[in-house]
Amino acid sequence: MSERVWGPIHGDIVDLLADHPTDVPAVVDHLTKLQDMLVRLPPLLDSCPLADFNKLYLTITTSVLDGLYADRFVDPAFLSRLDVEFAARYFDALRLWTDSSPGTPKAWSCLFERMRGPDARPLPSAAAGVNAHINFDLPFALVTTFAHLESEPVDGSDQHRDYLEINKIFADKIPGLRRGYLERWQLLIDMLNGEIDDWYQGELIGYTRDVAWRNAQRVWRCRHDPLQHERERKRLDETAAALGRLLLSPLGAFLQ
Amino acid sequence: MASDVDSTPLVGRADLVATARAALLDDVAPGSTAAVFLTGESGVGKTRLLRELGQRLGDAGALVLTGSCLDIGDASPLHPLRQALRRLDVDLPPAAAASVRALLAMFAEDAAGPDGAGALLERVARGLSVIAGGRPVVLVLDDLQWVDRTTRQLLLYLLAGLGDLQLSVLAAVRSESLQGAHPLRRVLTELRRLRSVQVLDLAPLDRAAAEQLAAAVVGRPLPPEAVEQLCQRSGGNPFVVEELARDLRDGRDGLSDTLREVFLARVDALPQPAHRVVHAVAAGVEPVEHWLLAQVVALPEQDLLDAIRATVAHRLVVSSHDGYRLRHRLVAEVLEDELLPAERALLHRRYAEALTAAPGELHQARLAHHWRLAGEPQRALPAAVAAAQEAERLYGYAEAHRHWSVAVELAEGLPDAERATLLRHAAEAAHHCGEYARALALLEKLAAIDVDQTACELHIRRARYLAAAGRSALAEAEYQRALDAADCSPRQRATAAAHLAELLLQLGRYADAGQWAKEALSLAEQAEGATTEVVLASMALGFSEAYRQDPDAGLAVLRRALTTAERAGRPEDVALAYLHLAELLTGPLNRMEEGVVVARRGAERVAELGLGRSYETRLLAIATNGLFRVGQWAEAEKVVAAALRHRPSGTDAVELLLARCRLSVGYGDIEAADRDLDAVATMLAGGGARHVIPLLTLRAGLAMWQGRHDVARHAVQRGLTETRSDDLVIVAVLVWHGLRAEAEAKANRTSVDDNAVRRLRQIVDRVAEKSVRAAQPVRDVVDGYLALCAAEVSRLDVTDPDLWARAAAAWDHRNHPYPAAYSRLRQAEALLARRRRTATAGKLLRQAYQTTQGLGAVPLTDEIRTLAGRARVTLEETGPLGAREPAGVGGEELAALTAREREVLAAVAEGLTNREIGQRLYISERTIGVHVSHIFDKLQVRTRVQASAIFLRSRT
Repeated sequence: MSERVWGPIHGDIVDLLADHPTDVPAVVDHLTKLQDMLVRLPPLLDSCPLADFNKLYLTITTSVLDGLYADRFVDPAFLSRLDVEFAARYFDALRLWTDSSPGTPKAWSCLFERMRGPDARPLPSAAAGVNAHINFDLPFALVTTFAHLESEPVDGSDQHRDYLEINKIFADKIPGLRRGYLERWQLLIDMLNGEIDDWYQGELIGYTRDVAWRNAQRVWRCRHDPLQHERERKRLDETAAALGRLLLSPLGAFLQ
Repeated sequence: MASDVDSTPLVGRADLVATARAALLDDVAPGSTAAVFLTGESGVGKTRLLRELGQRLGDAGALVLTGSCLDIGDASPLHPLRQALRRLDVDLPPAAAASVRALLAMFAEDAAGPDGAGALLERVARGLSVIAGGRPVVLVLDDLQWVDRTTRQLLLYLLAGLGDLQLSVLAAVRSESLQGAHPLRRVLTELRRLRSVQVLDLAPLDRAAAEQLAAAVVGRPLPPEAVEQLCQRSGGNPFVVEELARDLRDGRDGLSDTLREVFLARVDALPQPAHRVVHAVAAGVEPVEHWLLAQVVALPEQDLLDAIRATVAHRLVVSSHDGYRLRHRLVAEVLEDELLPAERALLHRRYAEALTAAPGELHQARLAHHWRLAGEPQRALPAAVAAAQEAERLYGYAEAHRHWSVAVELAEGLPDAERATLLRHAAEAAHHCGEYARALALLEKLAAIDVDQTACELHIRRARYLAAAGRSALAEAEYQRALDAADCSPRQRATAAAHLAELLLQLGRYADAGQWAKEALSLAEQAEGATTEVVLASMALGFSEAYRQDPDAGLAVLRRALTTAERAGRPEDVALAYLHLAELLTGPLNRMEEGVVVARRGAERVAELGLGRSYETRLLAIATNGLFRVGQWAEAEKVVAAALRHRPSGTDAVELLLARCRLSVGYGDIEAADRDLDAVATMLAGGGARHVIPLLTLRAGLAMWQGRHDVARHAVQRGLTETRSDDLVIVAVLVWHGLRAEAEAKANRTSVDDNAVRRLRQIVDRVAEKSVRAAQPVRDVVDGYLALCAAEVSRLDVTDPDLWARAAAAWDHRNHPYPAAYSRLRQAEALLARRRRTATAGKLLRQAYQTTQGLGAVPLTDEIRTLAGRARVTLEETGPLGAREPAGVGGEELAALTAREREVLAAVAEGLTNREIGQRLYISERTIGVHVSHIFDKLQVRTRVQASAIFLRSRT
């Protein structure tokens, strides 16, 4: 009973998503193709809010791939798995959205909805995507990766260091996120005291990716318990969705 | 009523049924495996489809086994399989019925034997094959999102074809569960790439199908506005469509807007006794057997039956031959708020009491579950302990860990519980199932309460857990602390030192490793019976000496350790000593022939000692790889076949499959190679990242023979993103494959990826730079590949014969004929391209040809032939290089054979098996095998048919 949520590019998107990339070069390839499609999506075309995020994500993933070839990481097996798992969750969200599934993570749907317009500013759009991807997807991608490698998320491990190394890539590629953005984001949250979980208040001062790492450790501990795992998932989804909506609200424009 | 459940037609799934049936039965080649995974949200009709398909496959002659996974923590390992076996029809043939009983008894009682988890999988596979009696087996599993780890491993083992069973798996997975970090996500991503696996997503019904279903339920077509409303409310979910349509039929429309309200209304409408039934089923572990329900509800017989009928009629409970279940998870959610906590606890107590009183198989895990929720920790504790022990017996360490953890929690409030013992078990189980952080945390708790535990023992355990978690620096410090502890016994000191040496060896700190190994050896001398420590320390010393330029000293140490182990007589020590010795010889020492002999002798010896499955397989894997490298491929093929006869699992299986695949790639047997690659990929879907690179290397090699350079390029690129830069040898092999793929692409006039070439050359430089600092044995191997890389790079421009000559010399020096022959071919090609020294080129080609013919390396031989044809070089001519006399005609062909070999060949030509020949000539089957392989070598053939043909021709 699904409508063609992607309008004229629906068929292309469905075909692309039918494939599940299993390595980093394939992820880059996928994101590249997706980018070409998104800028053809009416009504916003070039200023599609998801394209703003996708473009940034493509840039970052390409840098990760270059880093892998350039021997930048201590444990490339870990990092490439993580990259693939991470991307898989973005593609999953797109797939669910394509099927008009009620299971689409709220963290993502608040951004997806904006593709129909009205126009959003590029930086808040990209930030909303980064928010959904890091605050919601990343902890689960980390847990799956560690489980597959028969390892664990331990502070100070090789994997943790590689994980933090990605922060440098983020910092390089998102000048807006690095300084002004984060400070202003914090300011926004202070202004909206009460809108967001108390939990977030303390955590966001650092860097969202550290939050994701700690959340991964939380999820790791309950990964064999379906009920608690589901609770964690909902909690993270709600929190990320709240932030996402905030970023896309008129206040989000303040970031730019 | 029960018929009402099934009377609804299956709507809108005809294509899916056909696809799944074909994938699971009709299109499966004999002896192969296949799998279909159905994913979809709850209520979309997965269970219904499983039933439908199961029936059809059964009607088509398959043996269908049906089980479901459980969502509560009390599931014991292999639960769905045990359930399926219990459900099997009683009218099986006697042998099959006996096998069902034997399997169930094995799960209930026996330990699976000394060889561990793998032996369990193997016995299940054998049992299933007896039960199937030649029919294809279909394993139908519902709610796979709750599958336990042991069952998951069994599935991958069987799907990889290791169980020698024609098996199809049909499983349903709830897609909501796959969100987040579910372990099946990764497994499905890996499996869906295989040709034999399909992941089918069950979409909601479209409008037409929803309308059709609703009309079937109501019994007449619906007006368009009703259809519209139904579609909107249900979102096309068939379960919801059906239930809403039913309300519509019964004139209850308008009351219930959501499914939740539908069920609430039905619960409200129930008569009082039926309320009790539905609550009791909700508190039980499904399916709830009738006798059990009767005891828990405690109603007079007729009242009970009426009450159950009411719950079924209101479509809240489903009845089947093995018990009762709630119709849907939503029912459980609706009921959840209806009971007082005290009422729920009472139900659990009734369950626990009924189960305790019942004769027969006691479900400890289930009992612990009910006692715990009944609020009776002192009664739950023994059951939890028993459940943990049962899980450990079936190698379900994850389940065992969960039960031990529950036991630890239960013991918190109990004064006389043996908390230390529970903690010790919990920590060990956590360690076994890879929960290292948890194991360490439990150990800390243990240290805090257990005063009897010695400091030394604690340090050793902590070090062991840390080392397993890959936290080497901390592990090293802990071993040091153990050695410094005042209460350390001589034996413990030897243990700590030996493990420390092993750890340092893995870290590449050979000097330190050697020092601690020596220390461990001298400590072990003073301790009684420390043979295990002697073997381990000798291994560390042997390898560290080999890496530090004193191979003979290292070898001597390990030989001595073998003697010690043989004298002490513990089978595992003997096996390990053989293993380490063979690894040393075929690894850093590159003394291949000797290594192969040791490995094969070791394999025979450990088989005598009863360790066939585990250690014999591993030793034979070493022998196979050694034989491959020295160019005795026919022999390697036989050895690997012998090893696979043990039906190994896990890492052992992966290594053997890779070894066999390497041979198939060399032979150019694409189908066999593909099959093994798929089997390895299936196994690796369950974990085991370090085998991914060899898999990708072989995939690249195979793709090149097929002229699919893009596939080869992709495999290499992926490998390069997953390889640690300190794995010099692995990187070197991969880079060579990458450059070769580009060079071949250029030779075939397809496009070369300049970006990839640039990257590969950078990596070559990096490897060369790093190898300077590596140990000599590593450097030797790496240099061989770097020589190949340099030559391939020249091929991308103007191929340089001198570089190829250098590569050939490097591999000749290492005595690896296959890469040497390849290099000679390229050298000849380079000379011919320059139209220089064509006589030398001819010689090189003949030499390479002889090698590849001897190996049976078909694709490489073909390339040599093609080049020789173009250059008008006669390959059969005798070369002046002292190469082996080529075979002539008639009786001369057999001139190279000994009298005994001729006797054996005559028998081979009669079509006798090795065993029959052995019986005729009064020698062992194994010796016949050796003779046959010599015959193959000398006649330069690969098969018995070819050998027989030469023999028969020689007599005419």
